Amino acid sequence: MSFIPGLGLVRGMSLTLRRFFEPKATIRYPEVKADIPPKFRGRLQLLYDEYGTLKCETCFQCAQACPIECIDMGGMDTKGRFHVHWGPAETYGERREESALRRSGRTVPDPAYAHFEGLDVGPLDDILADFDYDPARLLPILEATQAAYGHLPVAALKRISQVTGAWYAQIYGTASFYSHLRFEPPASAAQAAEVTARRPADASFLAGLGASLGSRPGGDA
Amino acid sequence: MTDTAILATPKEWPAILLPRAADGAEAGKRAAAKPGTKARPGAADPTDLDAAVGAGAFAGLRRAIRDVGATGTIAIVGASGLRGRGGAGFPAADKWRTAAGTAAKGRVVVANGYGADPATTTDQVLLERNPYAVIEGLALAAFAIGAHEAIIAVRAGAVETIRVLEASVAAAEEAGFIGADAFGPGRRLDVSIATVQGAYLLGEETILLKALEGKRGQAEQRPPHPATRGLRGLPTVVHNVQTLAAIPWILVNGAEAFAAIGARDCPGTILVQVRGPEAAGVAEVPMGTPLREVAALAGATAKGRPVKAILVGGPSGGILPPEALDTPYTFEALRTAGAHVGSGSVIVADDRACIVDLARVLTRYCADEACGKTIPCRIGTRRLSEIGDRLAAGTSRAGDLDLLTDLAADIVGSALCDHERLATLPLVSGMRYFRAELDEHLERGSCPAGVCH
Ligand SMILES: Cc1cc2nc3c(=O)[nH]c(=O)nc-3n(C[C@H](O)[C@H](O)[C@H](O)COP(=O)(O)O)c2cc1C
Ligand code: SF4
Ligand code: FES
Repeated sequence: MSFIPGLGLVRGMSLTLRRFFEPKATIRYPEVKADIPPKFRGRLQLLYDEYGTLKCETCFQCAQACPIECIDMGGMDTKGRFHVHWGPAETYGERREESALRRSGRTVPDPAYAHFEGLDVGPLDDILADFDYDPARLLPILEATQAAYGHLPVAALKRISQVTGAWYAQIYGTASFYSHLRFEPPASAAQAAEVTARRPADASFLAGLGASLGSRPGGDA
Repeated sequence: MTDTAILATPKEWPAILLPRAADGAEAGKRAAAKPGTKARPGAADPTDLDAAVGAGAFAGLRRAIRDVGATGTIAIVGASGLRGRGGAGFPAADKWRTAAGTAAKGRVVVANGYGADPATTTDQVLLERNPYAVIEGLALAAFAIGAHEAIIAVRAGAVETIRVLEASVAAAEEAGFIGADAFGPGRRLDVSIATVQGAYLLGEETILLKALEGKRGQAEQRPPHPATRGLRGLPTVVHNVQTLAAIPWILVNGAEAFAAIGARDCPGTILVQVRGPEAAGVAEVPMGTPLREVAALAGATAKGRPVKAILVGGPSGGILPPEALDTPYTFEALRTAGAHVGSGSVIVADDRACIVDLARVLTRYCADEACGKTIPCRIGTRRLSEIGDRLAAGTSRAGDLDLLTDLAADIVGSALCDHERLATLPLVSGMRYFRAELDEHLERGSCPAGVCH
């Protein structure tokens, strides 16, 4: 970094000038096609459809589903500044419902955004205080929440997002990845304990293994 | 205690990870015992710190701190040739040098005791029977790289393992081997136990670190390796608990003694989980032991039903034919043969097994457990599993085997983490060694072993 005033401006202008005098290549586009890198997908942007309505429903589904968390919601505020993730997803609930109705004639059910039961957040707030509102300890927070409420109610996830500042999509993504975390109350306490002792996926894998070996392996199974 | 039998092994095999009981009478009995009979070394309370110290625990750590120093410790472990037991066989000292050489605000050592393979309990058995070896190895690794934070990650469902570990960590801290001033005045080592659960892939190191950070368990691009940028951005050395448990022995007995054990390019011993028609259990075997001898521990001998195949490596293991029984149990030899060390599981299948169904079940599990981050992981493994399903159901399409070959090569070439690369092994090794049985399924839609359909 240099502190000569105006140097940045000179640098910028020199680039402009260089481009200005570069030979121009004009391609007769639809007839002649430029070479594009094989993985080029064009600019990914969801703007307006032919009726002039925004294509994105701000449902946050893509942000939640994106495994590498490269999708984020953002937009312009009233002063024309661009912000990444505007705020908690429920802010857009109304817009979303409206556009879902318009497009499909029905509301689109999504447990993450459906109207959810109210929740006594007292126990949850105690848990959050115990973990110092630290989103880096999200897994233990979710486990403690599940232990307190029996499952992870949507309202609890929203509360965690609101209080820790962690983005809802991240919390939902984490909660839906680990097989011991559940969004519905367990059928019974015994079932919940079984999941901790051995995951259903592992149990059925072991059963399948035994079947394809045609014999139970000797000793312990 | 985890209800796993410890298989008797020949007396001349060294016992580093699971020391044999001290009294000669029992050692003699163990050696004479038939394969498959239960022998319980260290039946005394494994959390008894005084007894453990009496048997030599923490002598290696003392030697490292007093005489050898951090760089000296790395040099000794380097000279011993110790390679990671987590599956990939990466030289331990190389990771340490990287972590120690990376400037950072702090460094972390993580003991990977998750034991991802649902059919394997080797790491749990080690933690329950020899907890102080793991804790001492963890402290040694931390001392060598200059870390003040160490985490032991275990499966939340392993209640007994957690109990033993908590008691042992507390006792070691009480005695001052870890905790405040562990490495000398003002040089502390905080050891914590983290319980994780909920996915097979938590065994993979970058995914384990994600879970420890409270994130969704998905693999991370390497480089940067965790040794450069790991937990919370700090250089992090992740080791399997068996790797750690061998380190104190190396410090006490010297690098040469360790290098003399097992295979030349891969010294030391490893815990394997053997399952055969006659017996099943955990055994400590020197690296480089021929598969035949490993299989014999589970009673797979010439007398019983004929051995049809050996599944080596766990859910993403390779299916090897009986001709491969002479393969030495080392990282390279197994990879060349089309299998891998993986979780240390060796399953002997007799003539009642169906290779196609076996490969199908394994591939299906790998596909279901894939994290979904990349296309080879999310879609590649799914397509593999569909090919397996079609083979087993007798609905294969023309060209399925070519597709399998192509797809497997593409997955191996473009995978992000090792999981999807290894997930190709069951079907690819099955096709390589059991082509006749595959063709039977493919052309006639029939299963010679009578398992499919
Ligand atoms: C799918 C998958 C599962 C794994 N599971 C385990 C495991 O259960 N335990 C383990 O120690 N390493 C496991 N690993 C290996 C780790 O990623 C890592 O290499 C290892 O913990 C490093 O320790 P080491 O240097 O002692 O080998 C797994 C790797 C993959 C790709
Ligand atoms: S938020 Fe919903 S509607 Fe908008 S781009 Fe993502 S998935 Fe599509
Ligand atoms: S399992 Fe998804 S990238 Fe390896």
